[in-house]
Amino acid sequence: MKILHTEILIAKHFKNSVFKNSAVYIITLFIGALLLYAAFSGWDNYNSQNETSEKYQHESREDWLKNPDKNPHRMAHYGNFAFRKSTSLSVFEFGMEPFFGNAIFLEAHKQNTANFSEAGFSNSMLRFGEISIAMVLQILLPLLIFFLGFNAVAFERENGTLKLLLSQGISWKQLLFGKILGIASVIMLLFIPTIIVLVFVWLLLQNFSISADETFKMILFILFHFIYLMFFCVIAVLVSASSKTSKKALVSLIGIWLILTIILPRTTQAIGAYLYEAPSKVAFNSAIEQDILKQGDSHNPNDVHYKAIKDSLLRTYKVDSVQKLPFNYSGFIMTEGERISSKIYNDHLEELLKIYAKQNSFSKAVSFLNPYIAVKNLSMGLSNTDYDSYIDFQKQAEVYRYNMAQKMNALQIKYISNKKPGPNEKPLTIGKEHWADVEEFHYEPKGIANVLKTEILSIISIIIWIIFLFVLIRFAAKNLKAI
Amino acid sequence: MLQLLFKNFIRSKGTKIGLLFLLIIGFISLLIGHQFQEKQENNIAETAKYQKEHIARNAAFHKDEIGLLLYYVKFSLVNETFPINSLAIGQRDVNPSIQSVTIRGLEGQKYDSELNNPSNLLAGNIDFSFVLLYLFPLLIIAFSYNIISEEKESGTWKIVATQSSNTFLYILKLFYIRILCLIVLLTFVLLIAVLFLQIPVDKSFIAFYGIAVLYILFWFAVCFFIVSLQKNSNFNAVILLTIWLFLIIILPAVVNTYIINKYKVPEALELTLKQRNAYHEKWDIDKQETLEKFYQHYPQFKNYPLPDKEFSWLWYYAMQQMGDDESAVQSKELEKKLEQRNHASELIAQFIPTLHTQIQLNEIAKSDLQNQLLFLKETNHFHEKLRLHFYPKIFNNEPVEKENWAKFKVETFNDSTESSFLKAFLPLVLFNLLLIVFGWKNFLKNI
Repeated sequence: MKILHTEILIAKHFKNSVFKNSAVYIITLFIGALLLYAAFSGWDNYNSQNETSEKYQHESREDWLKNPDKNPHRMAHYGNFAFRKSTSLSVFEFGMEPFFGNAIFLEAHKQNTANFSEAGFSNSMLRFGEISIAMVLQILLPLLIFFLGFNAVAFERENGTLKLLLSQGISWKQLLFGKILGIASVIMLLFIPTIIVLVFVWLLLQNFSISADETFKMILFILFHFIYLMFFCVIAVLVSASSKTSKKALVSLIGIWLILTIILPRTTQAIGAYLYEAPSKVAFNSAIEQDILKQGDSHNPNDVHYKAIKDSLLRTYKVDSVQKLPFNYSGFIMTEGERISSKIYNDHLEELLKIYAKQNSFSKAVSFLNPYIAVKNLSMGLSNTDYDSYIDFQKQAEVYRYNMAQKMNALQIKYISNKKPGPNEKPLTIGKEHWADVEEFHYEPKGIANVLKTEILSIISIIIWIIFLFVLIRFAAKNLKAI
Repeated sequence: MLQLLFKNFIRSKGTKIGLLFLLIIGFISLLIGHQFQEKQENNIAETAKYQKEHIARNAAFHKDEIGLLLYYVKFSLVNETFPINSLAIGQRDVNPSIQSVTIRGLEGQKYDSELNNPSNLLAGNIDFSFVLLYLFPLLIIAFSYNIISEEKESGTWKIVATQSSNTFLYILKLFYIRILCLIVLLTFVLLIAVLFLQIPVDKSFIAFYGIAVLYILFWFAVCFFIVSLQKNSNFNAVILLTIWLFLIIILPAVVNTYIINKYKVPEALELTLKQRNAYHEKWDIDKQETLEKFYQHYPQFKNYPLPDKEFSWLWYYAMQQMGDDESAVQSKELEKKLEQRNHASELIAQFIPTLHTQIQLNEIAKSDLQNQLLFLKETNHFHEKLRLHFYPKIFNNEPVEKENWAKFKVETFNDSTESSFLKAFLPLVLFNLLLIVFGWKNFLKNI
């Protein structure tokens, strides 16, 4: 401990001087209140979102099972729903959640959009952002750090006390580390209670039965935010140490904060969106329809593709009409139709997602320059409120939809007679016990390994930042002058 | 004197960089607005072309059964995008500006969302309203936080005070120069916008410009007030940035969270389940029962009795109709909640100038929630009109070729809500006056 004695002394001194300013109490109290509000509203939102989606997921399942005997194709149109559920960390980090659709109707032949997003039901107020714990940690605390830290060295320089300090045998390195420690100790007074509340709320939400996956995510969430805040402590002290006056230090720090948290995130994403224009729904859907028509339209009685299938079936089974086939012909055709249209849809979706990925690539690349974006991406990934999680949800829903539709087609092929009932005969049905064969939709959020894999760039960026700042401190310690 | 002060202000490197930055990002916002406008126009053109082909193709396939044909055919309604929308994109990127619906149950179709990259939505657009709301204030703060304090700190204030007969007038002149600079910049960018985006200079545009000017003046008034406290530059910078942070980030977010949590909309999911069941369960109940309900809704179709067949289109569309009729309660409830949300946010926004400005700009640009709600209502009318047109033809099984299908063009909804100048300007004017009066008082006391 003796080695760090001087640093701790400087830190304590800094901390005391900070708390001499009564405004600091007000700010701290205010941020504390904001954190509580964020935790409370996050909790409220999470609970109601998950309760609603669970309630209706359950209800829709009951409804599905309650259906009487009927033709399986009717059931394929009756369909199912995929309701999105949030993970417990999303209480603290909303990420893109307000822009996610919360329900997808899953039926045969058709890939429906994810509907009922919070954003669709809001006015433009939402676009100013939301108050979450992550937002306070990622945007407000860095600014607070800058407000506390701009004076750290520059003020001593202005006062002339800097020369005194250095002449007393304190090295620049000790001074810088001491000041960084000082700011960090003040910020920890906010950070540590926040984390305690965070962990408590998080445990409570899961009734104290936590999975290893969730725990890992939580630990990383805390760790990355801690490192992130340290970055800002270091930046504040370095800028303060290299500025002639405290005013210059303050102006530069405010500039840095604005660029990192407000200007860059929006601009980089906007550049991506501008350069790689994504098709709208109209264009996307009509391109899919064009391709399906090219492949073959199962609703068109004269379609070449389906006529070829019909002819080959008739040859293979050596019959002269489809009614004489030993299985349900229209079920067979629908299976083929579903296969073709799903494949085409998925191909187009892949193309679309590639465009989205290109749009996002600018932001991702900039995470090397901007620790805010790196941490934001990581925390959204960990709380499953990032872009990839949403795409993942939609893909899981589509897989479920496809399997459901094909299951119903298979039931039709197997159990429904090939002979069409006459105009006054009852429709052909199968027993309702088959409905339970289709399992309930269950969304599985991405695990920690996948999250870290997709966010590898952000992690590298943070490691680079750690190294860079250490190098910068060393460099500064060697080159800084007292005047 | 004024000329000298102006030269002094504009000569500073910081001023030049600041103005240039704002000008460039202003132009970028126009480019982004232009791209948005083009995309909207292309969509409408694409929809019109698609609808024509789509109807013709289906009419050729299903020429014997108009009921089956109308099962497939989609008709589109466009929410008109005005050129001024490019300046304030608002919620138009989230909500689709085109609704394509069949005459089957509407509740299952009407909330279909637009295709979007959520990363773009989260980051938000760099449209002109962003530049105005976020960036203009920052530059205003940067230009005015150290008026007086800078001169005091460098020791030149005493010279000014002794040399000029009225120091308050001197301060006003300093503000005047800065205000003039930014208003000229704003006017210039909007002038370019008028030419580049072909925005008609009408009442809407004047309201837009008026709000923009008042908003800029509001921030100068804030700076004027803070400067009047005559603290040091560092204090001013910290306080002004904190005010900016409050008005731009914290308060809107708190209000938004409050409104979302206060008016929750579980009805949305309830509605979607209800309309599915209401329609589908009719397959398994007595047909006549469904028909009775249908006749109750549309007495004019009572003379179409249920055909003596297992399947008829009359029965089918009656079932579809029940999907809408029986979920009408939830649909109304959802609509009411959304209106409440909109109303509450407009009410609160009057006390928060940034929010007020944003909401008003979007209202003028027809890109707010109100416009979306009107568009949804209009979709209801559009759909009902189609139903009433086609129902008798389906029930009579009229020949497909008898209908002139070419006449079903894409229709346009024109939101003609007029925004009132008073409602738009008054809150900003009041805030400005209040700040100026208090600032003035401080100056008179302290100079």
